[in-house]
Amino acid sequence: MSLLGFFQWCEQSGIGDTIRRSSWLFPLIEAIHLLGLGVIGGAVLVVDLRLLGLGLRRQPTAQLARDAQPWLIGSLLLMFVTGSLLFLSEAIKCYYHEAFWFKMTSLFLAILFTFTIQRKVILAGETRFNPVWSKVVALVSILLWTGVGIGGRWIGFS
Amino acid sequence: MQLRLLATLCCLVLAFCYLATVRAAAPTGWTAGHQTRLFSNVAFQTAAGRGIGGSLLSFFSRLGDSTWSVGLHESRYAYDLIESVHVWTLCLFFGLAVMFDFRLLGWTMRSVPVSEVARRLLPWTVAGFVVMVISGTLLFTAIPLRSYQNIFFRTKMIMLLLAGLNVWIFHSGVYRRVATWDAASVPPRAARVAGALSLVLWVCIVLSGRMIAYNWFDCDHQPQRPIINFLTSCVPTQSEVR
Repeated sequence: MSLLGFFQWCEQSGIGDTIRRSSWLFPLIEAIHLLGLGVIGGAVLVVDLRLLGLGLRRQPTAQLARDAQPWLIGSLLLMFVTGSLLFLSEAIKCYYHEAFWFKMTSLFLAILFTFTIQRKVILAGETRFNPVWSKVVALVSILLWTGVGIGGRWIGFS
Repeated sequence: MQLRLLATLCCLVLAFCYLATVRAAAPTGWTAGHQTRLFSNVAFQTAAGRGIGGSLLSFFSRLGDSTWSVGLHESRYAYDLIESVHVWTLCLFFGLAVMFDFRLLGWTMRSVPVSEVARRLLPWTVAGFVVMVISGTLLFTAIPLRSYQNIFFRTKMIMLLLAGLNVWIFHSGVYRRVATWDAASVPPRAARVAGALSLVLWVCIVLSGRMIAYNWFDCDHQPQRPIINFLTSCVPTQSEVR
């Protein structure tokens, strides 16, 4: 099956069809998607502000990251579920929309960066790396997540 | 730090105001979203002249005819940009407010003193709230009359007042004694209740805020149930009722 074929299959799925037929399902799912966005934002910012030397700067970064992790993963899952439902209802539009591909690329990079490089820098503690690296890592993380947010909002403009 | 942040935000707002002067080229090919914005120019049959509702109604009606309002809803980019900023700021405002609520509930950062979370994170929440209020006011100014008579907008405003009341009760009540429970991994009941209330209210505010965009209960969508027309202060004409 080609990629376009897969997207067409998604568009024709029963779930996508149900959401398209309903006048309130799409808005409701999207609103829950927005709640997830807020929580991801909070979980990411608590850690990134700390890495930037702002926010809870008296606390060890590793501990903060451990505290925020369940909320980050939980809201990511919520985003993934609600986002997939939204996608099923308008898969063809997404296939031809550059914003969708921009968002998916940013999302892939953001998740990859958060759970590999950023995690490594945080767990290594303040002593092993130059503090400048913490700030660079925080800025890259904010930049990548912002890309996801911009892409998401942009899908709505068409 | 906070001052510099506020200055940057003010610059951003000014940039948006400039963009508000860029008008849409032509009304052809407008999407449904653009068309709903024009509803502010439609004179709804309403409960005009009845007490405060009437005076607010005429005020928002005049606001809708102002250069600012027309500029905002006719502009090519301003409305979409301001709306995007309003949504993105959820991360800063809603995200960090919710993290504080989670701390009050003992769900995260249990080893961090509550007063430290408040002191170090709430200024960011306040900065986010300032952006929310400025962008939200601009969005309202773009379509004042329709927003004022929108049931979700009214719900949102009432819940905003309740959320503000909750903040006030928390800070003048149990938070005054924070020194006695600062390090508690699970704060006392009163603080947990404040956190839970805040969480529920802000979630409902986000949900109803998103629904303002939909015109299911708008005045020009008749017939509606009498309770809906009462809550939105719409007075449908005889032909609309049938």
